[in-house]
Amino acid sequence: MRTFLYDGSFEGFLTALSLGLEGGDGCSISKENAAEPGLFSEYVNSGVDPKRAAAARDLVERRGSAESWQHARFAFLSEVQGAETAILDYVRLLAERGPIADSMLADDRVKKVHGLAASVGGEAHMFKGFVRFKELADKTLYSKIEPDHNILPLITGHFRARLGEFNWVIHDVRRGKAALYFKQRLIYAPLTAARALEFDGKEAEVQALWKHFFKTAAIKERTNPKLQRQNVPLKYRKNLTEFE
Amino acid sequence: MACYTFYMDLDKKLEILADSAKYDASCASSGSDRGGKGTGSAHMSGVCHSWTSDGRCISLLKILMTNECVYDCAYCVNRRSNDSPKAILTPDEIAGLTFEFYKRNYIEGLFLSSGIVVSPDHTMELMLKAVRKLRETFRFNGYVHMKVIPGSDQSLIDQAGLWADRVSVNIELPTDKSLRLLAPGKTKETVLRPMNRLAQRISAAKDERRSIKSTPAFAPAGQSTQLIIGATPETDREIIKLSEALYDKMRLKRVYYSAFVPVMKDNRLPALLEPPLLREHRLYQADWLLRFYGFTADELLDEAHPALDLTFDPKTVWALNNLDKFPLEVNKASYEEILRVPGIGVTSAKRILRARRAGQLALADLKKLGVVMKRAVYFVTAGGKYGGVKKESEEAIKVKLLEHKNPNGQLNLFSESELVKEGLTGTVTGQL
Repeated sequence: MRTFLYDGSFEGFLTALSLGLEGGDGCSISKENAAEPGLFSEYVNSGVDPKRAAAARDLVERRGSAESWQHARFAFLSEVQGAETAILDYVRLLAERGPIADSMLADDRVKKVHGLAASVGGEAHMFKGFVRFKELADKTLYSKIEPDHNILPLITGHFRARLGEFNWVIHDVRRGKAALYFKQRLIYAPLTAARALEFDGKEAEVQALWKHFFKTAAIKERTNPKLQRQNVPLKYRKNLTEFE
Repeated sequence: MACYTFYMDLDKKLEILADSAKYDASCASSGSDRGGKGTGSAHMSGVCHSWTSDGRCISLLKILMTNECVYDCAYCVNRRSNDSPKAILTPDEIAGLTFEFYKRNYIEGLFLSSGIVVSPDHTMELMLKAVRKLRETFRFNGYVHMKVIPGSDQSLIDQAGLWADRVSVNIELPTDKSLRLLAPGKTKETVLRPMNRLAQRISAAKDERRSIKSTPAFAPAGQSTQLIIGATPETDREIIKLSEALYDKMRLKRVYYSAFVPVMKDNRLPALLEPPLLREHRLYQADWLLRFYGFTADELLDEAHPALDLTFDPKTVWALNNLDKFPLEVNKASYEEILRVPGIGVTSAKRILRARRAGQLALADLKKLGVVMKRAVYFVTAGGKYGGVKKESEEAIKVKLLEHKNPNGQLNLFSESELVKEGLTGTVTGQL
C-alpha cells in the first residue's frame, strides 16, 4: 500500500497522480500534513514535476474528455478528505475504459468524483450570489467568504465580467488567501488578517437600506424558516450583510 | 387623493414600496446574457442572492415606483381606497439605489413595477426614465424586469422591451368575469392587448437577430405573467388551460402563481384563514409538467376532475390513472416515457439515458442515478426485474405511497397542515 504525498498544490497533486497511476491498484494520494500514518503504509514524496503533471492532465483529456478534466479539477478543489485518492481511482478507470467511463454514472468511482465536482460547482454558483462587498474608504470593494470548498478560483471570472470597473478583493478567510482585482488585473495572494478596514462614509447607510429591504420583502403569512434554512444554510450567514 | 409625506426619507420610502411590491411572485433573473462596457452582466441561468424568512428567493430589487394608484382593485394592497401611506421614488433614486445594491452584490438587478399615477402613459414614462437613467448614466448591464402598465401607449410598451431584459403584464385574475368583479377598470382586453404586442415584438426581434446581428434585442429574457390563486372561484383546470395557452400561443417564459394573501377586507373576497399554499405548490408542479415533461393540460385534468389532488403530486396522479402504461423498462423506454415516471425528474431521466449507454442498468443502480425509488419503484422494471407491489393496482400503490408519506400508517391522521409542510419543502416557487 503506497501513499503518494504531495505539497498541497495542484501541480504537486498531478505529479502524485501520475506516479499513482504507475503504482498499480491500491495506491493512495494524500496531502503531506494530512496523511494518517498507517502500519503498513509506504510513503513516497511526489515532489513537483511539471512534466509529469502535464502528462497526467494530457492523459485525462485524451483518454477521457474536457468534461473529465473538469470533473477531476473540481473534485480536487473540494478539499474533501479522500478526494485525491478518489480522483486517482477515477482516472485509472478513464485510462482503462476511455470516454465511456464518464457515462458509467452508477459506478462508485465515477459517482464519487462526479458528486464531488457537482458539490464544488454548486457551491461556486451559490457564492456568485452570496459574496457581499463592502465599500472601503478608498472605494475598493471588499468581501469576506468562508466556503466549504476552494471555490475562489471558480468565481473570479464572474466578478471580473461584472465589476470590471471597480477594484475589488474577495478574501477567503478560511484558507487565508484572496483574489485581488486592481486596475483591471487579477492576482491571487495569501492574505491572513486584513488590517482594520476603514469603510466608505455611505457604506453603513446602504447596508441599513438593504437590511430593511430584506426584512420588508418577506410575506409574514408565508413564514417558512425551514425552507429559508434549506436555501441559506446557517453556516453561510455570518458573512451575509442581511443576516448580520 | 394621495397625500405624500414631503421629505420622506429614502429608508421609509423603500419600506413602503418594497412592502407593496412583495406579492409579485417573480424573482427570476435568468434568460439573458447581457454584458459589455460599463458595470454589470446578466447570467443566463440567473443567480439567487438571498432568501427571506418565507423561503422565497431574492435576486432583484423588487420595488414599486409608487404605491399610489388610480384603480381600486379589491385584491390589491395598493388600491385607491386603501388609506395607507403613499410614497413615490424619483428616477434618480431608483437608479441610484439599484446601482449601490448591485455593486455590493446584493442583487442581480431591478424589478420595477408601479401603481398607476395620473395615467398609464405618465406612469410608464416615469418608469422608463428610471430604467434609462440606470442603463445610460450608470451604464448598467445587469438584469432589469419591467412591468408594463396595461392601457399605456404602444410606443411606450415598445421602449420597455428595448431597455429591459424581461417584461411582464400581470393577468392576476384568470377570467374576464373575475376581473370585472374585483378589478373595475381592467378587462381581459386591456390586459391581453399589451401581452400580445410584447409577444409579437419579442418573436420579431428574435427572427431579425438571426439574420442581422446588430438588431437591438427586445426583452431577451422574454415575457412573464402572474395569476392570483384562491381569490376567485376558477378551477385548477381553467388555470392550467390558460397557462398552457400562454406558453403555446404567446410564448411566455413563465406564468407565476401567487396564493391569495388576504391583506384587505372586502365583501367581494373570500374570507381565507391562510393563503392556499399547497394548491399553489400543486399548480407549480403541473406547470413544470407542461413546460419540461411534455404533458398537456388535458392529460392532467379533465372536466370530471377539475381540481389538482392535494394528497399526491399531479404526475403521480396521472401515473395511477394510466397504470396500463407501466411498469416501464428503464433500459428500453424513450426519454419522453421515462420523464413520465413518478420519482424521476429531468436530471435523473437524462442520467438514465446516459448511463445505459455504458451498460445494462439494474434496479439498485437507479437510486445512484438520483431516482426517488420510494415513488418510482411501482412504475419501473430494470432488466425485467420489478421491485414494487406484486399485483399492482391503483389502490395497492396508493396505499404504499401513503405509507411513505406517513410511516405510522395512520392515514386518517393525515392532516392538511402536515401536507403543507411536506409539499412546500421542495417548493419551486419563483425559482428559475
